[in-house]
Amino acid sequence: MRERLIRLGFTSGALILALGVTALLISMFDHSPIDVLETAWDGAFKDGRRFSAVVNFWIPLTLASIGLVVTFTAGLWNIGIEGQMIIGAVCASWAGLYFEAPSVILIPTCILLGAIGGMLWGMLAGLLKLRFGVHEIFGGVALNFIAANIAIYFISGPWQPPEGGSAQSTPPFQAAATLPRISDDLQFNLLFLLITIGAIIAIGLLLMFTRWGLTLRAVGKNAQSALLLGVRTERVTLSAFMVCGALGGIAGAHRVLQAYSSLRPSPAGGIGFLALLVVLLISFRAWWVPFIAFALAAIIAGSTRVKTLLQLDQSLAGVLQGLIVLTILIFNGLADRLTRKDHHE
Amino acid sequence: MKITRTFIFSIVFLLAGGLLLIAALQRTNEIVPYRMTTLPQHVVPSVAFEAPGVTTSILRFPNEDDSLSFNLEIPTVSYSLIVALLFVGVGTYGLVPLQNERAQRTKTNGLILAGILIIPTVLILAAAGQSTNMISMLGASFRLGTPIIIGAMAGIWCERSGVVNIAIEGMMLTGAAFGFVAYTFVTASIPGQGGLWIGIAVAVASGGLMALLHAWLSVTFKTDQIISGTVINIMALGLTAFMRREVILNADASFETLSEFSIPLLSKIPVLGEVLFTGKPIFFSMFLLVILTHVMLYYTRWGLRTRAVGENPHAADTLGINVQRNRYINVIIGGLIAGLAGAWFSLETAGGFRDGMTSGTGFIALAAMIFGKWTPFGAAAGGLLFGFSQALDTRFQLLNVPIPVQFVQMTPYLVTMIVLAGLVGRATAPKAVGQPYEKE
Repeated sequence: MRERLIRLGFTSGALILALGVTALLISMFDHSPIDVLETAWDGAFKDGRRFSAVVNFWIPLTLASIGLVVTFTAGLWNIGIEGQMIIGAVCASWAGLYFEAPSVILIPTCILLGAIGGMLWGMLAGLLKLRFGVHEIFGGVALNFIAANIAIYFISGPWQPPEGGSAQSTPPFQAAATLPRISDDLQFNLLFLLITIGAIIAIGLLLMFTRWGLTLRAVGKNAQSALLLGVRTERVTLSAFMVCGALGGIAGAHRVLQAYSSLRPSPAGGIGFLALLVVLLISFRAWWVPFIAFALAAIIAGSTRVKTLLQLDQSLAGVLQGLIVLTILIFNGLADRLTRKDHHE
Repeated sequence: MKITRTFIFSIVFLLAGGLLLIAALQRTNEIVPYRMTTLPQHVVPSVAFEAPGVTTSILRFPNEDDSLSFNLEIPTVSYSLIVALLFVGVGTYGLVPLQNERAQRTKTNGLILAGILIIPTVLILAAAGQSTNMISMLGASFRLGTPIIIGAMAGIWCERSGVVNIAIEGMMLTGAAFGFVAYTFVTASIPGQGGLWIGIAVAVASGGLMALLHAWLSVTFKTDQIISGTVINIMALGLTAFMRREVILNADASFETLSEFSIPLLSKIPVLGEVLFTGKPIFFSMFLLVILTHVMLYYTRWGLRTRAVGENPHAADTLGINVQRNRYINVIIGGLIAGLAGAWFSLETAGGFRDGMTSGTGFIALAAMIFGKWTPFGAAAGGLLFGFSQALDTRFQLLNVPIPVQFVQMTPYLVTMIVLAGLVGRATAPKAVGQPYEKE
């Protein structure tokens, strides 16, 4: 009990310190931290439209994070999530551009293709690891760059707009690929929202209550003894990569369908890396994902507002995120020391 | 049949050789022995060639002094025929089911030879019917290899003492940004290149600070070293982007970079002089760093201790070596070196800072380190290979090779993966790498 309290105290201490350092940074550049906070809060929650922006950021971030929970549970560092999102986006874009069908068929097709693309790209990282011993971090980083180049190839090559190529974007998707919105005020898509919530619940339950979840955890804790106990570690590892890739692919599909309605360079926009932070923050517990992801989405959506009003750049959000994780790691380390000392006494 | 690495690479070379062979045999009339000509540059090279209608790839080695310039004319078809036969031979032999150790070694060596041959072959095929300047090609390989090789040295210092460092990327980026920021602050008050040198000093120091953070987290707090590295990478990305928008955009920064100089006498050596002895300061420091790292690691007491700490910290501790202190110092030195690699981007090459301008070089450096099996010279060779494949990029565009640019730009990463996949043999990391040391 006491240990828990110490942990809680240290975690909140870390958050306060991170916010404090950010406030200090802001005042160093002659802005009032309170103003910034107010503007950011307004930017995220003032009305339905701004709240929609938060949700539209939350959906891909949560999908990617929940996927990462799966790979982390299996003890895998799927840095390739960004690439899996990009390939998902590219696959969904193909359908958005060329697959002529009514909306009811087209949009699910986009999502499905995105999931398949992401899954295959994730599988590639898994195969590289299992068959060739390429550590998933290096494989993932390389695959991220390759995926980004593939996206740029399609944008400036085969899918360039008829009026001539620019490296900026493909032509807009067919009208049928426009995501229906809930209302004028709430500009997010119900289907994606349901998929996201479904993914959280499904993965959470799968990890807790099924054999698959158990084997994932066994492999993550100690792959060798899992193997000795008869777990097919290779298959489990591969399945983790594929599930994560599929979720990342759906996130990528959401990015192109919702944010741009066309394929642009780096469609994932760093959300994959942000998802890594989310998952590190919650030390891989699925149920916490939606809340932390929401907080980060609000910070980011808010900081775009800060940018336009106060001329402070939104990269500030990046600084804040990095600081939060960093201070929490440091404070965790301190708490570890403290609790360990207690045991000695 | 069991699918082994040898099997896969043999198939690859068999296929590549087969395709090349088919292409070459369609133009049998062009098969001639190769010749080398020494010609002044202004003479049109094709004049020297007696057999008309033969496609040649001309590799130019120009020199300021015309009498030292020469061109290497290679009949493309004959060359590709020879290479194709070699590939097919190596590939076929690789598939022969011989299991004894000697045969296996021959197979491996053959595959490595074929792998090395890919480099000139790609270049010669790309230059078919054209000429390409080899001096600038080699120079670019070394230049582009510089941050990779320096980064790999940073990795060696860290990892030989048993601390995984995937944060090299972040340390480089920090160095690049803060070095440039420092430069913009002082450049007005310091004439000439002095500002740049101060920038380099700040870059090195800021890399060291990031490394201090890494050491603090992973050595003192025993945080997972990969988590710590990832956080530093992400942190660096955010922090430098913020710095750029808030500080650099407001400063009227010029696009000045460190100036080039030549080492007297040595730079007069044909070919080598221009490739190795003409360049900018950080480029030269690369050679120094490789040698220093090698000497440190294998010829000093500190190096012996570092290796002991990286292989078996418990034994080292028993012998009275302070494991924590050793790791701290090595990680920080690694960070200082990574900061220098960062300065290469902003102060030696671009004369500015872009968000994420290191674009994965830190990770490529780690791949080069693994390629070199954690030895300085091996890592340098790896870095050079990656530098070459990046230089190939621009070369392909100059030669109008009909391959989309994006695919060419993937080559360094593909090479990285092939290297990591272990064509060069299983890499053996320091034994204790990645494990925090718990004193009992």
